[in-house]
Amino acid sequence: MLRASAAGEGAGVPSATLVGEGFMTLAAAASKGLGMPNLPVARVVGHPGVQSSEQLRRNVLDVTLQHVIDNLLKPPKSATTDSEPAARDIVVKGGFDEINDYFYRHELSDGLPIVPPTIAKVEEFLRYTDRDPEESLGSLLPDSRAATIWSIAVNGVMAGCRPEYVPVLVALIEAMADHSYGVEHSGNTPGGETLIVLNGPIIKQLGFNYTQGVMRDGFIANTSVGRFWRLYLRNVAGFLPHKNDKATFGNTWRVVVAENEDVVKKIGWTSSSADFGFYPDDSTVMISRHTGGNHISSVSGATAQDMMPYVCDAMVRQYSWQLMFSTGQGLDTLRPQILMSPLIAETIAASGWSKRDFQKQLWQHARVPAHQWERIQRDWTQKPLWDLKAAAAAGDIPKVYHESDDPNRLVPLVWRPEDYLVCVTGDLSRNSIYIFAHNGVLGFPTCKKINAPRDWDAKLASIKRLN
Amino acid sequence: MSTNDGYYEALWPRSPRQSKIKPLAKRLDTLNGKTIAQVWDQVFRGDEVFEFLEEGIKARYPDVKFVSWKEFGNTHGSDERAVVAALPEKFKERKVDAVISGMGC
Repeated sequence: MLRASAAGEGAGVPSATLVGEGFMTLAAAASKGLGMPNLPVARVVGHPGVQSSEQLRRNVLDVTLQHVIDNLLKPPKSATTDSEPAARDIVVKGGFDEINDYFYRHELSDGLPIVPPTIAKVEEFLRYTDRDPEESLGSLLPDSRAATIWSIAVNGVMAGCRPEYVPVLVALIEAMADHSYGVEHSGNTPGGETLIVLNGPIIKQLGFNYTQGVMRDGFIANTSVGRFWRLYLRNVAGFLPHKNDKATFGNTWRVVVAENEDVVKKIGWTSSSADFGFYPDDSTVMISRHTGGNHISSVSGATAQDMMPYVCDAMVRQYSWQLMFSTGQGLDTLRPQILMSPLIAETIAASGWSKRDFQKQLWQHARVPAHQWERIQRDWTQKPLWDLKAAAAAGDIPKVYHESDDPNRLVPLVWRPEDYLVCVTGDLSRNSIYIFAHNGVLGFPTCKKINAPRDWDAKLASIKRLN
Repeated sequence: MSTNDGYYEALWPRSPRQSKIKPLAKRLDTLNGKTIAQVWDQVFRGDEVFEFLEEGIKARYPDVKFVSWKEFGNTHGSDERAVVAALPEKFKERKVDAVISGMGC
């Protein structure tokens, strides 16, 4: 809503933005990024979600109304900006503890010790990209800071990455800066966290874990690149808890998940990156944002058909309010992500099913009664707006959501089979899956190719380090 | 006391802000005779809040007019960027003098 107000102000139309009193700090921080730190806001008392109509009316008329009128009639405060260091400025000198104390006190770290980003370290990182350090991959909301190659190297050093990870880090920030992902929503109240899926030869070149414990910390590539993502969100995009990051509970950053392409190739399935149109020899990162997930243990059966009822039931149980990303607020942006252990993938493939067959079966059988679907959306929005029949008749959603008037008819979680994303990874000896609860348009799957620098093979060969 | 933790000169990890300070629009002298647009992200009962605000504003400025949020699309949906980008033109077409945008909760 601040962005809508800013659009009005820019067009000469004065604005008032309705902001809940618990969100005033966020509004002040976000306004800075819009270049309008004095953008006026009108206070909404408490949260409307827990007020009766009479309480809401009284709060609006007693408090919000005057704020709105003042916002539109009274000249706003003059705007000022804080002076900041330049990109290459040294901001602190001293020992390891002093550096870390400074970074923590200035909200530049996540609370864990950082590797001090010195010129020498950053330059070592920059050897692993052919791009100009000053090049910007985009401007990241809410802080509207430039996503420069230089800042990628600095934050990569801090996260404990190795220099040769830079091509992965650059591709990640290209994905972050892609509007289709929607990084500006990363501070929303559901507090979702990004999942990074890695594909291609770079998995083995850089030593990413793609087997047992793939989501567990303990592997420097998976762990440090995951940490880098969150540091970059904090330091460059500007998501600071209690400011621009308004996660009600939040999630800790996730380590990188790499696909087991040996198994994918063996069973003749497509890899995650191939599903996004990339070639098998391409190395890629894919990002998507999820509010949570669940390990579905012991998916059992000798055939795909045996396994599907359990899998479909588990899928349906991961989704509640997120159905709005299918037929409501975030129309057609729900993309459930599944991690599938190799044993499961091999058993399904042995039944003669391709990945597409699996997706079709999931789409066909992971379904919710229509009346329940509508009720969840109405409960979530507190509005009687959601009517699958009307939406299908208007052509806003596919006809599969209204094939009859039976309130018990079953409707799919997503519009089409390929909306289910599948990555084969994890323990080679266990039969489980993991299902993520996707955050829809607020973290839409976005895949980017990783571009290695010139002399990549020689550079890798020259690294004298024990992995 | 640690005496063996090295010496470092650490760089600033942020990068320059791309947004420069932009002026806000001139405020109105009154709401009487003016047209106010309502834009909504379609959550947190904004439709009810707009109704109450209309009631309160009309009580003080009887000649005010409103353009419903239904005219502008969802400012927080899957096409948010396009909806927001289209607002200035829609305001112009509807001769809008001021805008109320909600709900940030």
